[in-house]
Amino acid sequence: MKLSGNRLAQTIANAYTVVFRGTPELLVLLIVYFGAAVTLTAIAQSFDASIKFIDVPPFWAGAFAIALIVGAYMTETFRGAFLGVDPGLVEAARALGLSKFQTFVYVRIPQMWRLALPNFGNHMLSLMKDTALISVIGVEEIVFVAEMATTVTLKPFTMYIVVALIYLCITSVITLAVMALEKYANKHLAASR
Amino acid sequence: MTFDVGLVFGSIPKMLVGLGLTLELLFLSSFIGLALALVTLLMRISGRWFLVTPAVVYIYIFRGTPILVQIFVIYYGLPQFEFIREGMLWPLLREPFWCCILALSLNAGAYVSEILRGGVLGVDKGLLEAASALGISKTHRFIYITSPIAIRLSLPAYSNDIISMTKATALASTVTLLDMTGVARTLVAQTFAPYEIFISVALIYIAMAWMIQKGFGMAEKRMSRHLKPTAG
Amino acid sequence: MSEQESIIILENVCKYFGDFKALSDVNLTVQKGERIVVCGPSGSGKSTMIRCINRLEEHDSGRIIVAGKELTREVKDIDAVRREVGMVFQSFNLFPHLKVLDNLTLALKLVRKTPKSEARQIATRYLERVHIPDQADKYPSQLSGGQQQRVAIARALCMNPEVMLFDEPTSALDPEMINEVLDVMVELAKEGMTMICVTHEMGFARSIADSVVFMDKGEIVEAERPDVFFNNPSNERTKLFLSQILTH
Repeated sequence: MKLSGNRLAQTIANAYTVVFRGTPELLVLLIVYFGAAVTLTAIAQSFDASIKFIDVPPFWAGAFAIALIVGAYMTETFRGAFLGVDPGLVEAARALGLSKFQTFVYVRIPQMWRLALPNFGNHMLSLMKDTALISVIGVEEIVFVAEMATTVTLKPFTMYIVVALIYLCITSVITLAVMALEKYANKHLAASR
Repeated sequence: MTFDVGLVFGSIPKMLVGLGLTLELLFLSSFIGLALALVTLLMRISGRWFLVTPAVVYIYIFRGTPILVQIFVIYYGLPQFEFIREGMLWPLLREPFWCCILALSLNAGAYVSEILRGGVLGVDKGLLEAASALGISKTHRFIYITSPIAIRLSLPAYSNDIISMTKATALASTVTLLDMTGVARTLVAQTFAPYEIFISVALIYIAMAWMIQKGFGMAEKRMSRHLKPTAG
Repeated sequence: MSEQESIIILENVCKYFGDFKALSDVNLTVQKGERIVVCGPSGSGKSTMIRCINRLEEHDSGRIIVAGKELTREVKDIDAVRREVGMVFQSFNLFPHLKVLDNLTLALKLVRKTPKSEARQIATRYLERVHIPDQADKYPSQLSGGQQQRVAIARALCMNPEVMLFDEPTSALDPEMINEVLDVMVELAKEGMTMICVTHEMGFARSIADSVVFMDKGEIVEAERPDVFFNNPSNERTKLFLSQILTH
């Protein structure tokens, strides 16, 4: 939407990115969770006035919120990657007779993937870490479980350090995977020495 | 269900009560974080293994774990140890405010040092060679050549980090602090109007992010004025 | 002539980049006031050789002696040598965040601890010598390539070196600006500066050099006076190289 020439589409898309990159993740989460509950309750009440409250499964509220946030950052990355493709390559493809669609699939996408990869990796890492926030709205992910465990073991430090280590492992795996993918994506460049 | 636009704007003044705390958290941890980042950077690029290793480990830990977990470890976790409870720093460490400052500063230090390192690596090696050829010492090269250029290169990424820090301050609300998000949550509990309240607080955050970005944009422009294209 | 000391001596110098032998038993002696032009195909080791002279590269074996001081790992020795050797780079390497005058005075202030006003005087004098005194307050990005390179030459001269090294100084310049730089270098040569110049500008070599050195695959293949070198080279590789570059 951002790349289309359409001014209205651009403005909406810009607004989307500005809003979701400028607002704290926690806040987005809270808005989605509580807001969804209120909205659904209102909708349900219009059908059946006796319904007091609808509880939104926090998991889905959390997933939706994180998706919105990561989506906003990703559009910037993809836009950057799209613009970063050498226009010369695109011209060459068209000159050879490839259609717009074929150019997109066979020329643009492979180049974009290579350019977007480092930032994409960073987004994956942030996404991982944002999942910790879901504990705040009660989803039973690891931080939440740690809180529960603390009441039993009375050793909060140990509990949370374990959580930290788990996150560290996950982020390390993601980082290594991204590094490997980057090497693969750039192998045609390294070979020219 | 009606959307009370009046409530959105009417709540903004109430939210500004929390703004003070938000800004305190932001400025203090940015400042301490920057100092930490400079020290970590120097350690990281020193080339000596006993300095590089702790720096790398520190950066790895604080970039690899969520800020929420970091805050929890410090605020909920540290009191587990007697020596903390008996120690000198206890009056500070029992306060959620200082625990947040500690967590946010450590987090900032790790991220900013990597940003600065990116700037340092971006300095054209040829310039440093020319300086060496002129006989300028390593320290002087770092101060007069590397630093000014690295700072200018780091500005875009640094401004993004400051914006992230602003958003991270919202996490203070999870440990009972009444920053803007904390105030918002209290208000929502009172008014049962989550959309309006949270949206109004979001507007303030967005405004802050916008101002920070504009501010840094101007700073970048100033620092790049010597890069005008060739006249000849 | 017998009173002239050798200002640079390279003795059996070898250098490796990993497995690649960049310099292979290089022997070179430069007298004070001599002008040497080094030429050869890319990868022949010409840049590596002169970069070893001011320790921008480290030689792996052999000896390098500059102005009586031997180049070793000791920082003291390296600094002592760099004070006597000035270098001009292919990509100018002017400090972009400093004005032209500051580019010149930085090293004076930091290395020789020259007071500010004296440094400015020295810098202005050298800017005049390269014919661009009016550009003192500009930033490098505002100057043309030829002007930037002349500033680079002035910057090296400010430190009053005994020897000037030039690493392909005109290779990155548009053709119309090459002459303004070469003219400055010719003036310098006429004033008696000892120079080692890596370049492809054969006209310059013919007119000003005392000796033309041809390097190939890390070795010095031939070193002769220009008239002999260009008209009657003895080595086959030299002849091949000359035929490749002199046809156009």
